[in-house]
Amino acid sequence: MNEIIEIPLERFRDEVLKLRTEKQMDFLESLTGMDWGESLGVIYHLESTVTGEKMVIKTSTNNRENPELPTVSDIWKAAELNEREVYDFYGIRFINHPDMRRLYLRNDWVGYPMRKDDDPMDERNPLRMNNEETIDSTTELKLNSDGTLEDQENIIFDDREYVINIGPQHPATHGVLRFRVSLEGETIKKLDANCGYIHRGIEKMCESLTYPQTLALTDRLDYLGAHQNRHALCMCIEKAMGVEVSERVQYIRTIMDELQRIDSHLLFYSCLCMDLGALTAFFYGFRDREKILDIFEETCGGRLTMNYNTIGGVQWDLHPNFIRRVKEFIPYMRGIIHEYHEVFTGNIIAHQRLKGVGVLSREDAISFGATGGTGRASGWACDVRKRIPYGVYDKVDFKEIIYTEGDCFARYMVRMDEIMESLCIIEQLIDNIPEGSYQEKMKPIIRVPEGSYYAAVEGSRGEFGVFIESHGEKNPYRVHFRSTGLPLVSVVDTISRGSKIADLIAIGGTLDYVVPDIDR
Amino acid sequence: MLTSLMPEGLAVFIECVVIGVCIILMYAILAIILIYMERKVCAFFQCRLGPNRVGKWGSMQVFADVIKMLIKEIISLKHSDRFLYELAPYMVIIASILAFSCIPINKGMGVLDFNVGVFFLLAASSIGVVGILLAGWGSNNKFSLIGAMRSGAQIISYELSVGLSILTMVVLMGTMQFSEIVEGQADGWFIFKGHIPALIAFVIYLIAGNAETNRGPFDLPEAESELTAGYHTEYSGMHFGFFYLAEYLNMFIVASVAATIFLGGWMPFHVVGLDSFNTVMDYIPGFIWFFGKAFFVVFLLMWIKWTFPRLRIDQILKLEWKYLVPISMVNLVIMVLIVVFGLHF
Amino acid sequence: MKNENSYLGGLLNGIGTLLTGMKTTITVFFRAKTTEQYPENRAELKMFDRFRGELIMPHNENNEHRCVSCGICQNVCPNDTIEIISETIETEEGKKKKILKTYKYDLGSCIFCELCVNACPHDAITFDQTFEHAVFNRDKLIHTLNHEGSKVIEKK
Repeated sequence: MNEIIEIPLERFRDEVLKLRTEKQMDFLESLTGMDWGESLGVIYHLESTVTGEKMVIKTSTNNRENPELPTVSDIWKAAELNEREVYDFYGIRFINHPDMRRLYLRNDWVGYPMRKDDDPMDERNPLRMNNEETIDSTTELKLNSDGTLEDQENIIFDDREYVINIGPQHPATHGVLRFRVSLEGETIKKLDANCGYIHRGIEKMCESLTYPQTLALTDRLDYLGAHQNRHALCMCIEKAMGVEVSERVQYIRTIMDELQRIDSHLLFYSCLCMDLGALTAFFYGFRDREKILDIFEETCGGRLTMNYNTIGGVQWDLHPNFIRRVKEFIPYMRGIIHEYHEVFTGNIIAHQRLKGVGVLSREDAISFGATGGTGRASGWACDVRKRIPYGVYDKVDFKEIIYTEGDCFARYMVRMDEIMESLCIIEQLIDNIPEGSYQEKMKPIIRVPEGSYYAAVEGSRGEFGVFIESHGEKNPYRVHFRSTGLPLVSVVDTISRGSKIADLIAIGGTLDYVVPDIDR
Repeated sequence: MLTSLMPEGLAVFIECVVIGVCIILMYAILAIILIYMERKVCAFFQCRLGPNRVGKWGSMQVFADVIKMLIKEIISLKHSDRFLYELAPYMVIIASILAFSCIPINKGMGVLDFNVGVFFLLAASSIGVVGILLAGWGSNNKFSLIGAMRSGAQIISYELSVGLSILTMVVLMGTMQFSEIVEGQADGWFIFKGHIPALIAFVIYLIAGNAETNRGPFDLPEAESELTAGYHTEYSGMHFGFFYLAEYLNMFIVASVAATIFLGGWMPFHVVGLDSFNTVMDYIPGFIWFFGKAFFVVFLLMWIKWTFPRLRIDQILKLEWKYLVPISMVNLVIMVLIVVFGLHF
Repeated sequence: MKNENSYLGGLLNGIGTLLTGMKTTITVFFRAKTTEQYPENRAELKMFDRFRGELIMPHNENNEHRCVSCGICQNVCPNDTIEIISETIETEEGKKKKILKTYKYDLGSCIFCELCVNACPHDAITFDQTFEHAVFNRDKLIHTLNHEGSKVIEKK
């Protein structure tokens, strides 16, 4: 694990700017707020897309009454929403951040729940029966030139703008997400996303659960990447404890991940077509998804909450029918995918709706941290399977699909081509699964040695990372999930300015975010 | 017959009432058949079965839906413009019924048969636009307003294309009266008589007619996954039922006008020269021909709707003004040339 | 393609793609449908063995189960779904032994994570494949897993 470099508060801004410009650390992988007892702070995971170097830095302040840290949101745009999350949970205000509002909790929530001395269940926050007031102005903590700090008010939407709500209950937002859009005729001028409608406090819950119990919650984060999420968490814990899993387990985990990826991309295709109005294509995608779900149900026991990876291996060995069924599925899928392309992809209407809409440039994608299909459609080679190979990905031969246009059509094509690549990977692995044990022997009570650990996998929607800091006990001290969807939501404002409402639906559909992953 | 029993004015009045009731009944029955057909056809395209629990093969499903809609509460809005809000569904239905009455179903069975039949039909169906705009404005809802504006722009634009393509066929026939249009197709349907321009006019008419009724790839104003039902969001119960009915019947009207003008109405399929074939065809009664052709065109429209995604509003208008109108005008000129030089069959 | 830029070429190309799409849907129209008629096909509908439907405590033909009320499953459950009510009795040899009185399982709060099944040292509980759990009253979801008058299998 990398050493965490501590940078004191006074030199923080200068050091960080130097890292960005001289060492070209342009990808902020993860931003985690922490409470170390006496001090509050933030841990940053940085990576350079040019040299491939990774660094972990941290900074902290001892002032628990009014903690203030300098912002990095002008250096990496990904920090805009992440710093709002840290403010929401820890109360740390970031100097010069333009929008210091709570992200997930209600505007009238009292307290900062992730602090160790804060109990979210006490009587300061009863179950409120009235709606949350929508506040259209926000505060910014500005650093004046003479070194003093003052509060400045920033307006998000003023009275003369025509603001409509899209969501939270809307057929096209793929979950409960609220967009407040200010329109001019049909054109979007500005967009503000309100998250937190499905926030369940998973990170706070994990601090009071033992390690095997935390695994059960990961299936409910990005439910279309259940295997991949659990794989990430198991990899992190196994790396921390120094446990080596057998070859057989690696093969099984890789095959399950790829099947899950196909399943998720088929659902992406179905929902995109449904949002754009081609309802028949929706049913085609779901009909084929049923076959994959049947394969999963036979081996794992579930269709959505798979519950398959465990610390040290997998829950059960592969069902005897598994290999046969997967081998039947692969030629079927290859033979039927031309129908999808005929009904939707080649269609001139689809081209008109998707080409040239919502262009995301490569620099923006890296700065926002928009990994996954979105990043690859903008020309950024961000696949974790190629950057930091895990499982048996270094033994298989597959292409990383990259398109350079960055518009909706490129994002769509990336995922359709990835289905074919996943089929290739499974074909190469399915006949060669080595014999071995499917679960290592673990102690009944799992304790992770002290330290901080980070592991990432390529989820269906991007890089899903798990950060664990442990103090040697049987509960983790802090678990943070680097969500795949949060950068995608922060990108929506930038790329949808100037387009029409109908384009917003196409953009939201092709970005392919899943809201429980954003809100955790 | 009735005049022998009572004064003439009263007899005419009773005859009008009876015919009115007949039209409304036929309207309702056709709507039920069409709704059932749509649900089954769309299910079959989506590799599933459609309604099959309520009654054998789901035949009673639509009756159940109608009863459900009749007994729903009509929710009244607090801040809507009451008069316009209540008036809107009725305008749409009236436009639809007026257009429906012009169509000849069998020999001598057209209700309204003027010598400017086609012109009257186009005018009557334009009243529906007013209804839609009233619905959007009177609902006091930003989304409805956006939907109604889009719909208004779309319908007014596409009326041009509809008019031009029908005009092409009127040039071929020389008359605007419906019964004479059908009579004139006794020796061959217009689509065969007029060959190339008639075929192009047929395709343009189908596309434009689709857009007129807010169906198919042009249903952005009421797009369910974008604006949650657009201009009729705020209507419930029977008022919504009127909009729903009017949409299906408008589709049927578009299909039957296409069947009448291009495919021969209730004229059987005659091939010039094969007289025995023609007499066999004559045994099948006129209204079966008519309904068969109309339902075939309806099936075509449904096929188009369930295959393609939606077009954006600016793409809809671009399609109309940049593609359909110029092509229709050129087509009209070609048809005129063909008629003048006698190049048709 | 270069003819996409011309007016007529673009038009014909567009119409061509539309017709391809229509051809696909009409072939699906005539294919066999994939709908399953649910309540009528219960006889053929068999769930897979590993499907997690509901937690049960298997009893053998003498109405005996294997739970010694050690309480490990209750501790491991993340959601406080299991509640074990036990009592201590004295056996004939004078030793104190814990036996199970009621094993309460709340189906409404179970997250089907199988930590309890994994943790049980005697294989007393397992998941079966029933999936029709809908009830009208939430209290009916709290199940008692041990049957009336059953007792634990004596270890010989």
